[in-house]
Amino acid sequence: MSDKPILMADDDADDRFLVQAAFEDNNLSHSIVFFEDGEQLLNYLIPEEDNSAPNLILLDLNMPKRDGREVLKIIRTNDKWNDIPIIIFSTSNAPDDIVTAYQLGANCYIIKPSSYEELKDVMLSVHKFWL
Amino acid sequence: MKLSTFNLLNRTLSEQQLSLITRFLLGTSLILIIALSYSYNEINQELINYSEKVNQTQRVISSLNEVSSALYESTYHANTYLFLKDTAYINKTLAAAKTIPALTQKIDSLVVGNESQQKRLEALKVHVGEFSTYTERLAKSATLVNPAIVYALYKKKNLEVDSITKLISEMNNVEGQLMHMRVRSRDNYRLQVFRYNWIIMLVAIVFLSSAFVLLDRELKRNQFYRIDLENKIENLNRSNSELEQFAYVASHDLQEPLRKIRSFSDRLVSKYQEEISDEIFQMLNKIDGSAQRMQLLINDLLSFSRIVKTGSDARLINLNTSLADAKSNLSEMIMENKAVIHSELLPSVEGYGSQMVQLFQNLLSNSIKYHKEDQRPIIRITHRLVNGEIIPGVKPSHQEIQFHQIKISDNGIGFKKEFSEKIFIIFKRLHGRNEFAGTGIGLAICKRVVSNHNGYIFAESTEGEGANFYIYLPSESLLS
Repeated sequence: MSDKPILMADDDADDRFLVQAAFEDNNLSHSIVFFEDGEQLLNYLIPEEDNSAPNLILLDLNMPKRDGREVLKIIRTNDKWNDIPIIIFSTSNAPDDIVTAYQLGANCYIIKPSSYEELKDVMLSVHKFWL
Repeated sequence: MKLSTFNLLNRTLSEQQLSLITRFLLGTSLILIIALSYSYNEINQELINYSEKVNQTQRVISSLNEVSSALYESTYHANTYLFLKDTAYINKTLAAAKTIPALTQKIDSLVVGNESQQKRLEALKVHVGEFSTYTERLAKSATLVNPAIVYALYKKKNLEVDSITKLISEMNNVEGQLMHMRVRSRDNYRLQVFRYNWIIMLVAIVFLSSAFVLLDRELKRNQFYRIDLENKIENLNRSNSELEQFAYVASHDLQEPLRKIRSFSDRLVSKYQEEISDEIFQMLNKIDGSAQRMQLLINDLLSFSRIVKTGSDARLINLNTSLADAKSNLSEMIMENKAVIHSELLPSVEGYGSQMVQLFQNLLSNSIKYHKEDQRPIIRITHRLVNGEIIPGVKPSHQEIQFHQIKISDNGIGFKKEFSEKIFIIFKRLHGRNEFAGTGIGLAICKRVVSNHNGYIFAESTEGEGANFYIYLPSESLLS
């Protein structure tokens, strides 16, 4: 299982860097494929064969082109991808956003932590629980 | 700003004066019009009286004329008899003479009040009597053949006729003059009152027109103000929604760079712990601390901006429940500090439930936070109903209303008297951050909650002797 990559779509380069760093600083050796928006992620996902489906998707909500909600909807309406765990990773703490994400089929909603130490802890727990 | 306030005041004053003037003009016009219609009635009556008097004079003259024609008729018949010796004329003479006393009697009532005419009338009556006597005697003696007697009687009768004619002519002259005078004074009166009434009417017309102009101006001005007010409300709504957008921007976009600052300085520390000097480590810590504090401030500002007044959400709030909720939210703090909170039974007020909880929560946590180190915090909450007029700086429209006074007293460290107003200003702090944590938003939120409820909040303290917070909330609903 662990050879399969983690996919992360986030338009914020800093957040992509910090997540990568958090995995590295926790000595976790997952390969992470990064995308700058939802469309890129879908383009990567669609031609993939079943056997190379990702381990986990980390999805930002607000992104250009296709946002996290659209991506979530498309992935969850495809039976082939039903089992992929999807974690929403967003700055928004608005109750509306959280409820919508779960309704669209997210497995977990994580508000981006405000310090690096917290981020490290969160990524460690993601690893332990989902990977 | 000051100038425009002055202008507004100035305008308001002259506004009041103008409305007073308008009322005066309208009121006076109304009184004048009523007076005019009453006076027309009176004038009419008076003119009728004048005409009546003129008529009376005319009747006197015509009656006198009747007397003289009867007199001449009788004389004419007497002369004819004497000339023709036809006895048929004797009866005609007597018949004409007999009508005269009745005719003179008729004048009696017409000259009442005029003494000189009455005297003449009395003289007239005497002469008429004499005339009648001589006429009768002349008729009786007509058959006698002694012409000397007849002639003597005839002469005496004619003397009476002369006297009567003279009197009638005098009376006629007097009546003529009287009539002339009465007609003139009637015309004078008419001229005078009509001129007088015209003036009153003119004044009323001028007043009414002025009042009309003023009212018209007032209406136009009101319309202008209404439009102005509508524009202002629109602007206010717009700026409110802009403020909401600002709150959103503050919560998300401002937090983002702060999160990055903290994350990267964190990572710098954790990754290069071994390599960096103590000084760099401390500086990075300070960067992190400042960013953290700024996050706190932004969050506080956000919660402050969320304390808004939305009329539709107001409902009846039991303050005992609000207090209980606040205590339960603070249960950890209360336990840690072994705080004791005594409360009287509190009333229910129209308001926003979550804001009321926040009000109590902020005040209680304030009292607990600033307790004396050697004493456990004791907080007393009391309630009484007071009149609006006792509240310092109360709005004039609130003076007549009853307010719930809720007093929250503690035995904490208190504060200097001069800070009693400053403590309600946002981010105003009386102590260094090292002594007491916090951003200084708590009491600012309290003040905002209370003013959202059309209430008042005051603090009173002497340093080292605890503090009293007074909350005044209107006992009747003013929210809508």
